Amino acid sequence: MEINYIGEHLWAGQFGQLCTVLAFVSAMVAAISYAFAAKNDAAFSDWKLLSRSAFSLHIVSVFGIIITLLYMLYNGMFEYHYVWQHSNSEMPMRYILSSFWEGQEGSFLLWLFWHAVLGAILLLTAKKWEAPVMAVFALVQMFLVSMVLGININDIIRIGSSPFLLLRDHPEFTGLPFLQNATYLDRLDGRGLNPLLQNYWMTIHPPTLFLGFASTLVPFAFAIAGLWQRKYTEWMKPALPWTFFGVMILGTGILMGGAWAYEALSFGGFWAWDPVENSSLVPWITLVGAAHVMIIQKNRGQSLIMTFVLTVSTFILILYSTFLTRSGILGDTSVHAFTDLGMSGQLLVYLLAFLCLAIILLIVRWKEIPKSKDEDSLYSREFWMFIGALVLVISSFQIMFTTSIPVWNKLFGTNLAPPLDPIAHYNSFQLPLAIILAILIAVTQYFKYKKTDPQQISKGLTVPFIVSLIGTAAIGYLMHYSNVMYILMLFTTLFLIAANFNYWLSVLKGKVKVAGASVAHIGFGMILLGAFLSTSKTQVISMNTSGTDVESLGSEGDFSNRDNILMMKGDTLRMAEYFVTYVGKKKEGVNVFYQVDYLTRTEGRYTLEFSLYPRVQTNPRMGNIAEPDTKHFLHEDIYSFVTYAEVETEDTKEKPEEYKNTSTKQVAPGDTLFAGTAIVIFNGFDRNVNAEEFGIQEGDIAVAASLTAIDISGKTYDVRPIYVIRDRMALPVPGELEELGLRFVVNKVIPEQGQAEIAVYEKPDNYREFIVMKAMIFPWINILWAGCVVMIIGTVMAIRRRLKS
Amino acid sequence: MKKTHILAIIVIAIAIGAIMTTVSDSSTYSNFSEAMENPGKEYHVVGQLNKEAEMVYDPEVNANLFAFRMIDNNGEEQMVHFAGSKPQDFERSEQIVLVGKYENDTFQASKILMKCPSKYNDGQPGEMQEFTAESATS
Repeated sequence: MEINYIGEHLWAGQFGQLCTVLAFVSAMVAAISYAFAAKNDAAFSDWKLLSRSAFSLHIVSVFGIIITLLYMLYNGMFEYHYVWQHSNSEMPMRYILSSFWEGQEGSFLLWLFWHAVLGAILLLTAKKWEAPVMAVFALVQMFLVSMVLGININDIIRIGSSPFLLLRDHPEFTGLPFLQNATYLDRLDGRGLNPLLQNYWMTIHPPTLFLGFASTLVPFAFAIAGLWQRKYTEWMKPALPWTFFGVMILGTGILMGGAWAYEALSFGGFWAWDPVENSSLVPWITLVGAAHVMIIQKNRGQSLIMTFVLTVSTFILILYSTFLTRSGILGDTSVHAFTDLGMSGQLLVYLLAFLCLAIILLIVRWKEIPKSKDEDSLYSREFWMFIGALVLVISSFQIMFTTSIPVWNKLFGTNLAPPLDPIAHYNSFQLPLAIILAILIAVTQYFKYKKTDPQQISKGLTVPFIVSLIGTAAIGYLMHYSNVMYILMLFTTLFLIAANFNYWLSVLKGKVKVAGASVAHIGFGMILLGAFLSTSKTQVISMNTSGTDVESLGSEGDFSNRDNILMMKGDTLRMAEYFVTYVGKKKEGVNVFYQVDYLTRTEGRYTLEFSLYPRVQTNPRMGNIAEPDTKHFLHEDIYSFVTYAEVETEDTKEKPEEYKNTSTKQVAPGDTLFAGTAIVIFNGFDRNVNAEEFGIQEGDIAVAASLTAIDISGKTYDVRPIYVIRDRMALPVPGELEELGLRFVVNKVIPEQGQAEIAVYEKPDNYREFIVMKAMIFPWINILWAGCVVMIIGTVMAIRRRLKS
Repeated sequence: MKKTHILAIIVIAIAIGAIMTTVSDSSTYSNFSEAMENPGKEYHVVGQLNKEAEMVYDPEVNANLFAFRMIDNNGEEQMVHFAGSKPQDFERSEQIVLVGKYENDTFQASKILMKCPSKYNDGQPGEMQEFTAESATS
C-alpha cells in the first residue's frame, strides 16, 4: 500500500539528483569532445563550442548539487538521510559547512567543487593546452561524480552513494515502523553533527585540504597532456606555478589538521603518524619532489622521466589515500577513517584506471622522451637537487609502505599488525632522512647549474656553518641534548635556516623579489626545528604527587612512569614549577569543563597565574572524549587533558542533601574517625539527652555520642548523634555538621567495652569530586606554527615570480 | 659505473631496508595463548571485555592502574593490566584491541583501542578510539 507522506520536500532531492546526472553526463561529453578537439588545431575549432559548453554545463551542475544540499541542510529537511545523519534542528548555522562535508558524499562534493573551480580557471587560461588538459579534467570529474551518483540495481550493481537518498529509502530504515506513519516528519529530528567536529578548524581544514588535493590534478593533467601531445617539456611551464600552489595549499591543509588534532584531540601532540595523516602527507612529499625536478628540467633540461613519475604518482597517491581512508580497510588501525560505504571497489577501479592510463602512455612514448646523455657534475646544483628528490621519494616510500600494512594483509593474506610504537618506527627512518634533506637544502643553493668552483661553495657556507655550530652548542647545552642523532638534527636544521638566510643576504643581495625559495626553505627549516624541539623534549609534568599511597601496588608491576595526576577538589598539589588546584566543573551543552588553577608560591603565599579548562565531551556518537586545554607561552605550551573524571554533574547538584556512607568504625573514647573534610574524635558517651528535642518517650534508653570534628583549618565543631532503644528496637538519630557536609550515625553501642560503632556519611562532593589529569609541556612549538606561516609566504613569493617570468 | 647506477643501487638498498624494518617492527594480531608462550614479546590481541567480571580502577589509590578481564577471539579469558587511567565509557565497548605483552601472570597492555556502539544506530559499529599509556616496563 502506498502511503502519502506529509511534509516531504521531494522536489529538492529530485532537483539534486537531476543535477548529479547532468554533471555526470556533461563531464562525459566534455571528456570525449575535448579528446577529439585535442587532435589538432582544426579539430579544436570544430569541437570547441561543444566541449566548452559541456564543461560549462558540468560546472553549473556541480554548483547546483552543492547549493541544493546546502539548501536542504539549511532548511532541515530530515526526510533525507544525509541531512538527518549530519545535522539537526539545534545545530548553530555556523556549522552548516562542517555538516556539509562531514560525510563521505559531502567530502566528494567538496572535491568536485574545487575541481570545477580549477577547471573553470584553466578553461579560461590554458589557451593551447585547453583541449588535452580539460579532457583529463573532465574524465576525472566523470569518475568523481559517479561516486555520488547513487545508482542501485537490485543491490547487485551499486554505483556511488547519493546525498539525496530519502531516509525511508535507506536500506537501514526501510520498513521501520515509524516510517509507516504518514506524518513521521513532524517528530523527526536529525542525528546532529558530531560534536567533535564542531570546531572552527573543521570549517577551514577540509576545504583547504581538498583544494590541496584538487590542485594536484593540474600538474597531472598537464603531464598527461604533454605525453599525449608529444610536448614532453613544454607542459612544465604552465604546470609549475600550479605545482607550487599545490605544495602551499596541501601543506597548509595538512598542518591545519595537525593544529586541530593538537587543539581538539587528546593525542598528545600535533602529529601521531596516524594512517589518515600519513596518506595526505605522502602526496605532499612527492609533490614537493615534483616541483623541484621541474625546476631542474626548466633550467637544465634533465631528469625528465623523474618529473613525469613524480607528477603522476602524486595524483595517484591522492587517489590511493582516498581509497585507504574511505574503504574501511584501515579498520582497526586508525582512529579517524571513514566507515565503508561499499564503494571501495569503485574507488579501486578509479585508481587503477588512472594508474594504467599514465603507465601505458609512458611506455608508448618512452622512446621519444628526450633523455640527457651527459652525466651531471658532482659540483652542479641539478645533481644535488636530484639527490634531494630521491631522498623525498625514499621518505614517502617508507611512510606509505608501513601505512599500507592492512593492504598487504588483504593482498597476501598475511596477519601483520602495525608497529607497536609507530612514532619510534617512523622516526627511525624519517629522522636520518630529515637530516640529509636539511643538509641538501642548506648546501644546494650554493651550487650553480652545470659546474661550480668548490672553493666558492665552502666560502659561502663558512659563516652559516659557524653560526649554526654555536647555536647547536648553546641550545644543546641549555636543553640537555645528549643523543648524537638529536644533536645532528638540531645542527642541520639550524644550518638549513642560517645557510638560506645567508644565501638571500649575500648571494641574492637581500632582494625581496627573488627571495621566495629562501623564505620557503627557512619556513620549512623552522617547521622541522619546531617539530623536533617540541617532540624530542616533550615533558610530562603530571606526576602523581597526591600523597596517596601508590607504592603499595608495586607488586603488580613497576609503574614508574606515572603520568597522571590525581587531584581532589580543593587540594593544592605541586606540578613542575606550579601548584595546581582542581576548582570544580561546569557543564555547558555536551561539554563538561574542569577548572584547574595554576598557582605559584612566593613566601608562602599563592598567586594565581592562569586557569585551564580541559573538558570532557559527552559525545553521543563516540562516547566521552577528553579535549585538552592549553596555555600558550612564547617559549612553550602547557597542554593538559582530563584522563578520568566524573561526568555527571546534575545528580550531585540536584540532591545536595544526599549523603553516602563512606566509613564505619568501632571506636573507644579517644579514638579518631577520618572523613574527607575533617578529623573526628570520639570523646565518649553522654547520657544527658534532651528528651523533648528528640522525642524520647518513657522507657526509652537514650545515649548521645559526643564527637568533636576538626576541619582542615583547625576549627572545631561538636556534634552529638543519639542512640535510642525503644522496645528492644534501635532508633538512631543522626547528628549532622552541615558546614562540613558530614553526618554521623551510631549503629551500635557496646556498653561493656564502652565502645560504639559509628558510621560516617559524607556528601558526595566531599569525597568523590576528583579528576585524573595528564599535563605536558611542549617547548618551542610556536616555531613550528611560525614556520608554517613563513613557508606559505615564501611559496606565494615563488609563485608570483614564476607567474611573472 | 655511472653515477646514476650507483644512485639506483643506494635507493634500492634503502628501500629494501625500509621494507625489512617495517616487517620486523610490525607485530602480529594474535591471541592470549600465543602471548603467554612468549612472555615479554609484544602482541596485538583482539577481543571483548568480560562485562560480568569485575573491573578495578581506583584512582585514589593509583590513577595509573586499570585492571579488567578480556576474552580474546579464541574465547580465552585473561586478566589485563593497563598502566593508565580507565578509558571513558569502557563498559560500553564492543570490541577491544590491546597492544602489550604477557608478564607476571597478567597481560600488560600499553595501548587500548576500543570500539563503542553508536547510541543512535545499534546495528552500526561506532568509531574507533585510542587510549595509550606509557608501557609498564619500557
